[in-house]
This record gives sequence, structure tokens and C-alpha cells, in this order.
Amino acid sequence: MLTRWAHRHAQWLFPAPAVLLVAVLIVYPIAYTGWMSFQEWSASSLSPPRFVGAANYTKILVGDARFREAVGRTIYFTLVAVAAETLLGVAMALLFNREFWGRGLLRTLAILPMVATPTAIALVFVMMYHPTLGVANYVLSVVGLAPFRWTYSSQTALYALALVDIWQWTPLIMLIALAGLASLPREPYEAARLDGASPLQAFWHITLPLLRPALVVAILFRAIDALKTFDIIFVMTQGGPANASETINILLFNQAFSYFNMGYAASMAVALFALVMGASLLLIKVRRSTTW
Amino acid sequence: MTARRSTRRTFLKTVAAAAAAGPFVSTPARAQGFTWKRFQGKELFLLLTKHPFIDVLEKHIPEFESLSGMKVKWETLPEIQARQKMTVEMTANSGGIDAFFTSLHVEKKRFWKAGWYHPLNKFLDDKSLTSPEFDWNDFTPGAKAGVTQPDGSISALAAFVDANVFFYRKDLFGPKGLTPPKTLADLEPLVQKLHAPPSTYGIVLRGLKNANATQYPTILFPMGGTYLKDGKAVLDSKEQVAALDLYTKLLRQYAPPGVVNFNWYECSASFMQGQVAIYMDGVNFASQFEDAAKSKVVGKIGYAVLPSGPGGHFSPIYITGMAVNAQSRNKEAAYLFTQWATSKPNMVHELMAGVGVGRTSTWDNPEVKAKPKMPADWYQAYQASLKIGRQGLPEIVGVTEYRDIIGVAIQKAIEGAPPAQVLAQAQKDFQDLLNRTEN
Repeated sequence: MLTRWAHRHAQWLFPAPAVLLVAVLIVYPIAYTGWMSFQEWSASSLSPPRFVGAANYTKILVGDARFREAVGRTIYFTLVAVAAETLLGVAMALLFNREFWGRGLLRTLAILPMVATPTAIALVFVMMYHPTLGVANYVLSVVGLAPFRWTYSSQTALYALALVDIWQWTPLIMLIALAGLASLPREPYEAARLDGASPLQAFWHITLPLLRPALVVAILFRAIDALKTFDIIFVMTQGGPANASETINILLFNQAFSYFNMGYAASMAVALFALVMGASLLLIKVRRSTTW
Repeated sequence: MTARRSTRRTFLKTVAAAAAAGPFVSTPARAQGFTWKRFQGKELFLLLTKHPFIDVLEKHIPEFESLSGMKVKWETLPEIQARQKMTVEMTANSGGIDAFFTSLHVEKKRFWKAGWYHPLNKFLDDKSLTSPEFDWNDFTPGAKAGVTQPDGSISALAAFVDANVFFYRKDLFGPKGLTPPKTLADLEPLVQKLHAPPSTYGIVLRGLKNANATQYPTILFPMGGTYLKDGKAVLDSKEQVAALDLYTKLLRQYAPPGVVNFNWYECSASFMQGQVAIYMDGVNFASQFEDAAKSKVVGKIGYAVLPSGPGGHFSPIYITGMAVNAQSRNKEAAYLFTQWATSKPNMVHELMAGVGVGRTSTWDNPEVKAKPKMPADWYQAYQASLKIGRQGLPEIVGVTEYRDIIGVAIQKAIEGAPPAQVLAQAQKDFQDLLNRTEN
């Protein structure tokens, strides 16, 4: 009896554990965050959440200049970091795609930054960036340059943080691009050479278009990650000086766990989710389209 | 770090601890109705914070176990994580934490309003629960005020009391015949005389937002500034403007480059590397300055009370305490632990390890005087600062948010924005915060 029933409903029964897991671990938190974003709650056990309608969203959209600045900063940080990573990553991939002595060793060394823990890296960079005691300014002074303020000035903090991200994540783009290069067909190059194309032309008209799907995936990974960067900023500047390096994630962490504005923080989380989702959809669309 | 031991080991430790805790064990018998053993056999769970006070306390917990016959388990987390865990446990109403270490200067009103502190007034009055040797009045007035809420309820027992003091390089002051400043007016001329970059910078104070809010009152209070007047924000008063002007001018003109993002870590590093002549911060940092493994200026540092000013003479103090969780199922047993942790003998242990406490009797304790860990002027500066101690931050629910508001104003002013302008913005934001959270 039971077996017959199970047989008939196998298409529901077998995926059930996985569906349940997804529901508990993914759907519930998202739904709860969505619900919380319409409440006002200060994580107190005496007073329960209070429904405030769309007040949190109104505040985000029109009221809170600090949030708007954080959005702009998050996007800018992502653009700077990912653009530099893509340029450097592709250049490194082209280099490592050639045969030369010591290539294997150098390639391994090049991907090491990716393996390290962001928090540990951030702590090391804090010391290296120290304006008077740090090695970064010492190196600058050796080559005759003036000392730099790195994360210790609101004009340069965001770039100094982007530099850490670039140092750590360029290898990821390089790896994906390298895999893409290895799978390219040889024929188009031979044809191009016969037709008298220069190496630069071959790169621009053959390598790049063929590499595009792989590159878009790499950029997509990096963009999503960069949009929600948290560890290095939290450890190195906590969003400062003033609010010069405060991204959405840092601001929403402060709202939730320092100021205990749980509802407001939830609405920011939803906004960040929308931003990451939007960026991903855009990139996926680019990947599918046939023209650059 | 959860403490869990095998039975045999526990037994051996208990025997060893009992031997060490001689003076403790003799007390309960004499007490009228009071006995440490009242909750024998119970098990307590504590949530502790990574902190010098706790480092010392942890070593002595086995003594409490043998004294009370209770078993103590605990977890020690960094401050921010501990606060998150506390929030999760309390909102889930789990009752799993019996007592916890609390940073009153940040949590006092928020946790009180959320109903997380169990009021200790009745316990303190109950002679069967409080040892006759505990002596509530031994705590300094600042420490007592720091644990007492506006409605008179006592939320915790004061453990560690940090005071801001004046650190200076004796080896730089001496040859020039300089002495620590008596008043704020003497400060800038003094700093100017010592300023000789890049080898020596005149002064360093915290620049990083939020962190800087605990050093700002070293200038603000003597200048006559306050945070609140009749419950309203007063960040735009003329005293505030004068204080911010001086604080940020000192940093802009006489501090190491990049000071705008210096937390205590960068400040004390440049001080210990011998780059800075004057530093004002928590007295607690001094134990690093006198550690030859970390510091190049061991033995060269003088300690003094902060300068006074037109508004009076103050030292901003910050208090951490041991509290009983209002949701605990063992409140009275947890209170025994809280009481033990802040008892006279324990505070002597702390002070001997160079951790400052707010109990008057400990400072003249012969053991402390016989084996001082720190230079004599450190003890003098600390004790004198406790006498003029004033809670360094506004006692409101949104302390952290306030710290960010004033913190950003300070950073903007260091980078050149006019103090009156940034304070006008801060005033608006602070009043907004008060409207939202205080009622």
C-alpha cells in the first residue's frame, strides 16, 4: 500500500529532502528579511517588532544621504577593482599562456594570494599601509616618491582598499582566462597569419571575442563578490576616514549590529540583494548577446 | 573557550585551588547567614569578553569553584561577537547565560531598556546573599554611578574602570625643563615645543571615527562641554566648537601623518616606537608601554593626570562590569559569582597584574604596594584620575550611533572642515537619534 503510494509520488518524494533544505536555509531567511524590512525592531526582548509599512524603503530612497553615498561608493569600488583585475588578469593569462622557463612555479606563486584569508590579509595590509611605520611608504621612499596616505585619508582610502582586492583577486580572473585560452582553436590564428594580420589584430579580433564567454563569467564572479566586500573594509578602515569607505554592506552591518535598527538594516539588505541581482542579470545578458 | 574538564582533573584542581584560596575559605563560617556554599552542586554558564580583566579572572575561576562548590563553564569571545551572541541568546529567550561581562559605557542603557540586566539592589541588601566583606561603599563614586540606572536600579557590579590619563616622554620633557600641563591653555604651546618631525611628533590622539569618541572628552569636558542638556543634544554649543577646534588642530598640526584613521593600535604603536612625545588615552595601555618586547620607550614614560580647563577638572572613565542575566534560571547563584568576581581579594589580583579597578581599598593594599608592576606615578595618576572620573560617553541607548556621529565630525574637522559646520550637522543627527531612541 505504502510502497504503491510512494511509487506513484516518487517525483515529489525524492526531491523532498533537498527542497526542504533549500526552504529552511535559503527561502526562509530571505522571506524573513523581506518581512523584517517592513518592521521597526531594536532586537529588544521587551518590545516586539512594529509594522511601519514602507517607511524603511522611503527612508532609503529619499531620506538617507548616507545610504545613497554608500550605494555610489559600492558601485565605484566594484568598477575600479573589477576593471583593474580584468585588465591585469588577462595580461597575466596571456603571459602565462606562453612557454618559458619556470612558468609552472611562477603560475603557482601568482595564485597564492587567492588562497589566503581576507581578514589575515587585511591585518597585514594595515601594517604595511601605516603612514610612518609601514613598509609601503618605505618602498616609495626608496624609489624616490613622496609618502602616501593609503587608508589614512578620505581621498585615497577607497583606492587603497581596492588595491588589496586587486592584489588578492586578479589571479582568479587570470585562472579563468588561462583556461579559456587553452581551449581556443588554432585554425583562426593560422588563417589570420596567412592573411597578414598583426599579432595585435589577432588578439583584438580573434582572442578577445573567443575569450568573451569565459571573461564574462570571471567578471560576474568578481563583480558579485566585490559588491558585497566586507572583511577587508571592516578590518582596515571600518568605513572611514569619516565615511569615505563605507559601502552598503558596512553600513548595513552597523545599522543591524551596532545601532540595532534591525528593520532598517533588513531593508538595506534587500536593496543590496536587488543591486547584486541586477548586476548579475545584466552580465548574463551580455554573455548571451552576440555582439560586443 | 569553553571550560570542560575531566572529573579527576577537577578534583586535583579543586584541591590545589582550595590551598591557594586560603583567605576565602575562612570567611563564610563567620558570616551571619551568608555562605558561599549555598548553591553547591549547581552549574553556571558565563559569557565573557576578551579583556585584560578577564584574562586575570579566568585564572582564578577554579578558586570560586572550590569556594562555592559550583561548577563554572564559560565562553570568552571578542567584544563585538560577544554582543552579537548576547543579542541572539536574549531575543531567543534561551536563559542559557547566567552571568555576563558587560561594557557599561556602550551597553548600559540599551540592555537595561531591553530588560537584560537583573537588578541587583535586593541581592545587595540581602545579608544571606551578600558577604559582609563585600562592602558596596568601597567602590569609587564614579564606579557606583556607572552601574546605576536613572531609576536607581543597579545593573552590574563594577569590575574594570578605565580612566584617561596623560602619557608623556620624560626623556624629551626633562632636557627642555618641561612639565605636564596644568591647564588646557598650556597644552598647545607645550606640544609645539616638542614637535620636531619627522623624528618626533608633538602629540597623538585617536582619529578613527567611533574610537575617537572616547578620547574627545579629554578636551571636551575641561572645556566645559557636555553632550546633553535637559535631555536635548548640545553638540553645537560654543564649548563644543572650542573643544573640537583644539582637538583637531592638535592632530592636524602636530600628529603623525594619517592620524585621521588612527585607532588606539596605531596611536600606541607610534608612541611605543618613540615617534611621539605626548599621548592621552586609557591608562590601561601603559602595561604595553612598559613591556620591553613591544616598546622602545620602556622606563622613559611619565604618567600624569589630564589638564584641567575653564569647565573644571575631569578624567573620562569607562566602566565594565559583571552582570546577572535577567533570563537566568540561577540568578542568585549567578549573583554569588558576580560578587566573587568583584570582591576585594579578586580586585587585588587584578591590580597586581596591572589591571585597574574601582575599589578604593585595593590601592593601599600592602601586597600591591610591595610588588608594584607599574611605575609609582602610574598608580598616582590612575588613582587621582578615578577621583575626578566622569562617565566619558552620553548615557543613552544609541551610544554606538552617537560615537559614529561625533566620530565623523571629528574626522572631517581633522581633514580641514570648519568645526562649527561639522558640529551643526552632528547636532542635527544626534537630536534625530535622541528623538528616535529616547522617550
